[in-house]
Amino acid sequence: MALLEARGVAKRFPNGTVALAGVDLVVEPGRVHGLLGANGAGKSTLIKILSGVLAPSDGVMLWRGEPARWRKPIEARRAGIATIQQHIPLVPTLSVRENILLDRGGMLREAQGDRDEICALLARIDCTIDPEALVGELRIGDRQMVAIAQALASGAELVIMDEPTASLAGQEREAVYRIIRRLAHEEGRAVLFISHFLDEIVALTDTITVLRDGGAVLDAETATIGEAEIAAAIAGEKLNALERTHRASPTGEVALAIEGLATPHLAQPVDLTLRRGEIVGVAGLLGSGRSELLHAIFGSDRHARGAVSLDGKAVGRSPEEAVEAGIALVAEERVAQGLVPGFEIWRNLSLPHVGASGWLLDEDAERAAAERAVERLAIKAAGIDTPVTELSGGNAQKVTIARWLHPSTRLLLLDEPSAGIDVGARTEIMRLIRQLADEGLPILLVSSDFSELLALADRVLVLRDRGIVADRPAADLDEDALILLAGGSAGSDNREIAA
Amino acid sequence: MTARAHWRRSLSLREAGVYYALALLMAALAGFAAARGLPPYFSAGNMTNIVYQASLVGIISVAMTIVLITGAFDLSVASVAALAAAVLIGLAPSIGFPLALFAALTTGAAIGLVNGAIVNLLGINAFIVTLGSLTAVRGLVLTLTDGRSLMVEDPQVLAQMLAFESGRVAAFWPMLVLAAALVALGAWQIGKARATARPVRPGAAIGGLVLAALALAGGPGLLLPNPVLYLIAITAVAAFILRFTVTGRRLYAVGGNAEAARLSGIDVTAYKIGAFVVSGLAAGFAGVLFASRLGAINPTALQGTELTVIAAAILGGTSLFGGAGSVVKTVAGALILFTLTNGFNILNLGANYQGLIEGLVVIVAAAIYTVGGKGARR
Repeated sequence: MALLEARGVAKRFPNGTVALAGVDLVVEPGRVHGLLGANGAGKSTLIKILSGVLAPSDGVMLWRGEPARWRKPIEARRAGIATIQQHIPLVPTLSVRENILLDRGGMLREAQGDRDEICALLARIDCTIDPEALVGELRIGDRQMVAIAQALASGAELVIMDEPTASLAGQEREAVYRIIRRLAHEEGRAVLFISHFLDEIVALTDTITVLRDGGAVLDAETATIGEAEIAAAIAGEKLNALERTHRASPTGEVALAIEGLATPHLAQPVDLTLRRGEIVGVAGLLGSGRSELLHAIFGSDRHARGAVSLDGKAVGRSPEEAVEAGIALVAEERVAQGLVPGFEIWRNLSLPHVGASGWLLDEDAERAAAERAVERLAIKAAGIDTPVTELSGGNAQKVTIARWLHPSTRLLLLDEPSAGIDVGARTEIMRLIRQLADEGLPILLVSSDFSELLALADRVLVLRDRGIVADRPAADLDEDALILLAGGSAGSDNREIAA
Repeated sequence: MTARAHWRRSLSLREAGVYYALALLMAALAGFAAARGLPPYFSAGNMTNIVYQASLVGIISVAMTIVLITGAFDLSVASVAALAAAVLIGLAPSIGFPLALFAALTTGAAIGLVNGAIVNLLGINAFIVTLGSLTAVRGLVLTLTDGRSLMVEDPQVLAQMLAFESGRVAAFWPMLVLAAALVALGAWQIGKARATARPVRPGAAIGGLVLAALALAGGPGLLLPNPVLYLIAITAVAAFILRFTVTGRRLYAVGGNAEAARLSGIDVTAYKIGAFVVSGLAAGFAGVLFASRLGAINPTALQGTELTVIAAAILGGTSLFGGAGSVVKTVAGALILFTLTNGFNILNLGANYQGLIEGLVVIVAAAIYTVGGKGARR
């Protein structure tokens, strides 16, 4: 009998977004079950439903054959489902022991027998950390182990792991793989393992399910299929917002030249050139170093060293000097890194440029420029006096991009400009990117939506494990190839997985 | 948004509440005074007295508002003021008043620089750093004065100091001119807002009218003490910088979202440290005024004033999270606190209740801003 069975589980949000269209999933005990899908395919929503964070709007779930409906995470946990989130939610100021037993009741901070239990638990996962060590002082790999121990302490039958290896180094990954195999194959538990790395999925899992556009499109025994088939299932025949155009590769003069750009956040120094009007895509998974590359170029990574020159002139290594030279960075987190919440649209738009024309503000000029930008990007708002906190995601993102549509901008670095926004705004932003490149602006574009990347870019850099593993013309690549390079064994040279 | 909605917003409790509170409080005290047959509350002498009493705290709290706008916090201001006062009193007899004044201001700015550098370059929480310097600088004052009161005995130096602090200036005509200028600026702003459907800013116009009314009430013989003029000048300069210059815009941006400001090419660290230096400088200046008033300094002088300063900023609607605040409203907040003190004193309302009432006023004000702010966003 299946441990967990989901039939036609769907999730529609009140605003009309369909996150899951109806997914079937069968998880058997004693097996490692891989769950894959591109961003927005519905993986996180499915995990949230399984772990009781969200209630499904349709469909049935059977737990050990009985219909189950969890209203709170604690109910799913009591039933025997433990979820290890991607960003490990441990309390850094408490000890390993206290974290593992965090959901235990009782009056005393340390009950009798706790220590023995923890030691037994840690021994079970070959973990040698001191139970009294503070979690905040542990390495990231050890924290992952504590999270696993926490899941085991609750006696979970099903352990859900959301990208547990994304931020781990090779050896630490090995340890996690070993535990997962032991949990499933020796102890008879079920593990639902979410990852973007195809090679580890193939090496580790027994069964896989691929999600696409809110539905399961592939359900198979891992042994019967290869990485290429999985990649094709993930990519699918997507309806692209933009057709891929094969424009002539720009042959303009070199705009950006980077030599030996090195930072602790990247595995090896980077050399790179961008021509005027060229769009270079940066493909990579979470933790691949894609944002770190942009911050190193911009100078907001203060440990970055190396030579960056724009239009033949050397650019100093600080954001002030980068902006002065005409480099613009639209960072990944638009709320945390982009917008000033107390400012209206117009004051957010003029933020990088107000110092350029003397000490006194020229409000009329700022407002006129803001009116033009709002019109050009079709930002939907009552007016330029609307606070940015009232904007929808897509319109807020447009503000962070519009800020840099200024004559002084000579290089645009875009980090996930279309993440988390609706299709309409996304199409408009993609069209704008192409238009800006046609006007001669060089653009470096990071996106985890590979179809979008291929539709826009002239050339694609692939990052993996914080290093560039490929630099190819977009015309020579398709989405499957890109998925394999970024997450398959084809792109892996510093990762070894013992099967 | 319609013009009417703009007006309603700029006159709302959240935007202008501190002025309403001040007006209401004064009206209530005037009522008490009349009912008890005391001398008229709204006399030029009493009004001047309130502003005079509020001037030191007002000057420090203007700078505190700038620090709060950048998202930081400075608890050390009262100790810094006491140190500057001790430096002035200690040095004036030997190097003369002007040089001693300069030394006192430099001392204040230097401590601000040290505070700002520790907070921003080492990344230690501003509350902790300035709590430390609050204690350490007070200790320095005690060491320098050997725990005793210092006095200036040289009559010439004493005269200079008293002239600096206790001078009175005929203010009737300058106030009227300033009022006219403010009304003209305000009328221009309102007209422009109406023509272009922008949010209206009636502050300058209304402020000008109030100023004119005060001047006329005081009559042609109105004299203002020097510290009041210093407060007005410092507030005016700070308000101008915050409202009309690039520096001001960037200070708000740095406090509103430091990372966004940094990625927009703003040297966030420099602005944050700069705010601490301004705070130290203002505290030093307040200390100079304090010492000049008495010609002497007691090593425990001004203890606890930092809390009054922060209370004034909170009454003025300054956000403790940075990115929002107005120096004019902060001064209004300081006036509320000193109006309360003054009212308790002259009306004999029982000084024992004073602390209780002041504390409740601060909490109620914070509640109105927080709850009102949520309403505005809804």
